[in-house]
Amino acid sequence: MKRTLSIVLLMLILAIPMVFAGGDKEAASTEKAIRIAEQVPGLITPGVWDGQAFSMNSSIYEYLVEINTETGALDPILATSWKTDDGSTWEFSLRENVKFHDGTDFTSEDVKYTIERTQDPTIGHLKKQDFAVVDSIETPDAHTVIIHLSEPRPTFIYQLTDYNMCILSSDYDYAGMGESKPMGTGPFVMQQLIPKESASLARNTNYWAPNLPKVDKLLIYFVADIDASISMLESDRVDVVPFVTPVIKNRLDKVEGIKVISPYQEQRFVAMVTDMEPFDDNRVRLALKYSMDPQILAKSVAQMDLNEGVYYNETPIMNMLAEYKELPLRGRDVAKAKSLLAEAGYPNGVTVELYYASDHPFGKELAQTIQELAAPAGFDIELKGYTRDIYLSQYWLNVPFSITGWGGRIDPSMLLSLAFRSGGAWNESHLSNPAVDALIDKISAEADAEKRTGYYHELQELFYEEGSLLNIQVPYLVAINDRIVDYKQPLTMLPQYKYTDIK
Amino acid sequence: MNRTASIIIRRLGSLLATLVIMSFIIFMLVEIMPGDVAQMILGQSATEEAVTALREARGLNDPVLQRYGRWISGVVVGDLGESVYMQGVAINSILWRRVGHSMVLALTAFLMFVPLSIFFGVLAGVKEKKPTDSIVSFFGLATMALPEFVSGVILISVFAVQLNWFPIVSVIPIGESLFQNLNIVVLPALSITLVMFGYISRMQRSSMIQVMNSDYVRAAILKGMPRKYVIFRHALKNALLPTITIIGMNMGWLFGGLVVVETLFGFPGMGSLLMTAIKTRDVPLIEACVLLITVIYSLSTMVTDIMYSYLNPRIRFQGGQR
Repeated sequence: MKRTLSIVLLMLILAIPMVFAGGDKEAASTEKAIRIAEQVPGLITPGVWDGQAFSMNSSIYEYLVEINTETGALDPILATSWKTDDGSTWEFSLRENVKFHDGTDFTSEDVKYTIERTQDPTIGHLKKQDFAVVDSIETPDAHTVIIHLSEPRPTFIYQLTDYNMCILSSDYDYAGMGESKPMGTGPFVMQQLIPKESASLARNTNYWAPNLPKVDKLLIYFVADIDASISMLESDRVDVVPFVTPVIKNRLDKVEGIKVISPYQEQRFVAMVTDMEPFDDNRVRLALKYSMDPQILAKSVAQMDLNEGVYYNETPIMNMLAEYKELPLRGRDVAKAKSLLAEAGYPNGVTVELYYASDHPFGKELAQTIQELAAPAGFDIELKGYTRDIYLSQYWLNVPFSITGWGGRIDPSMLLSLAFRSGGAWNESHLSNPAVDALIDKISAEADAEKRTGYYHELQELFYEEGSLLNIQVPYLVAINDRIVDYKQPLTMLPQYKYTDIK
Repeated sequence: MNRTASIIIRRLGSLLATLVIMSFIIFMLVEIMPGDVAQMILGQSATEEAVTALREARGLNDPVLQRYGRWISGVVVGDLGESVYMQGVAINSILWRRVGHSMVLALTAFLMFVPLSIFFGVLAGVKEKKPTDSIVSFFGLATMALPEFVSGVILISVFAVQLNWFPIVSVIPIGESLFQNLNIVVLPALSITLVMFGYISRMQRSSMIQVMNSDYVRAAILKGMPRKYVIFRHALKNALLPTITIIGMNMGWLFGGLVVVETLFGFPGMGSLLMTAIKTRDVPLIEACVLLITVIYSLSTMVTDIMYSYLNPRIRFQGGQR
């Protein structure tokens, strides 16, 4: 009797897995859905959005203009046309018959609200400084906005492509609901948001553009672990995984049905601080530059060849931009680096601490490679890696030598005054060079494109000779399923899922 | 029975004291964690005024004790506060869903490993030094030596990749509930089972051997009682005591969020939520999770003690007389 009972019990236990089993279920519906595995977002309210969950926010919200991924030009979105005099007055005509997801009409008041909101001290808006130049905003009618700036900014319109500048409804309570019920005019509407777990977005049936979006649903999983995301991709539970590392790319390249694409490059600035030892001497900065080998950097950091996914220069301008001036690569010259160091008063080499965010893609690899490359020239580099939040809040801007990730800007002037002008909020190399300041001011005020490019070239030559940074451009990688067509994501980092379709 | 009741009351009292002390320690530990909450919320470009304003608005400038008092008075009435990141979203709405998932996982694992390991432990103990014993002991030792992240990977590669019986990642498809996707629980539960099996079956085996060699069992066998009757009626009840202690000691671990297993499988439970909270330094969420885990640990220890004193009269009487 007991034996029978125990056998029955044992069989029951062994049967548990069978009850649960059933393999992978197939979603048996005709709806077209793109499934995405993203990192767990932090803050998602526009203005303080920390730049995660791009697929979610960029599908719910929209901008006045956006970058066309093919041409690099500006596409009209909520603004249909725009004009400016010398860059100090900007007039926008707005698209008519556009509705927010809550049913209210999109009007010029909403644009005014969105821009004035940047200056609200209670928000801590990330674009506060960039929009401090806005003097006043006129709304002559419901579909016209005139923005007056306190000084000419010929490339002001590019500020409106920044991911935190999506157009918000003036009637909506973003402070209270921005985190739980994001709402805009975008091609997809938030259906269900389970905090820290997932978001389900459905097609906006009132969307202004005919035949867009192309799919019915976006299903976004927030997965903290990139390896788990990749497992989901490989087992066909998701279609898109952004923020892939080069190591994963190498593995996925061998997997059939999945490809890794690089929509754009991101920058890593290796900043040498100009008012702290030893980099206060330009000869030390040059010595470091001469000890670098861009090809080795590219290979060791991203397992890619130079100029095929990874780019290198010594200026703030990305190689892919029209403003970039091609300057010759120095070529590695350890002897010259050594003699420069000796001239600067370091005949026996110099010790310096390099600070970086160890958990940021490419951070650790870059730091280690620089350490190795610079060692023969006499640089004894001590690596100081911290998690990104600690690095940014406690060390960045206050240390002599650092590596920081910088997103690309379609208009580089947006970055110049922030990072390289004396007094700039993020002037990480403490640069205070009157010639650089003058050029940055000329660039931001010059209406003539050709002249502006001339100034850009001058600036780059200046950086080549005495600049304070190495600019290593690393690929931003997205792994996608082969069924996904027309995945578009410009330098603004905002994926354009309305164009994306699934086979 | 009165004595058991007095034990329960005393245990409840000490449970309460533990929780008060622990809540203070948790609050203090999170307090000394590097990084400023206001700075983290506002991001790197925030101005000094903005950070100060936000600190003021969220009451972060108040003295530590005052903030602790505010937090704990909320906790007492069931308000765990709001996540740093999800303004307007109560932690209660995030946490309990995850706790539910973790409970399902823990329960499944419990139902798998407890009968299995007790059965094989008894089997090995009764067949001491026979081949059955060697096989069970060897298997137990092997699984015990493998940490769950190793056995988990093995399980994934065998059952998910090769055989394709279960999903690789334990994620609930959007729009469905855990109960529609119970197959995602199996592999995590199996990897917990593997960890626990060796531990418990070996404990069961050695206590079984000890009891089987004791005088009263020998007397029972000698007086001609059927062997099965002796094993199940006389020996097992005594031999279960140490096993129950061990199981009870692991209940806290099992029900209190299996951080490693949940992270490995991407299972949406409390362990992976805690992991996310720590990664993003979501202080109120960390505090809520850790406090809940403390409660579960304390409760499970208490339940074990009570069960133990019920099963073992010696403890019950000693406890009652003191």
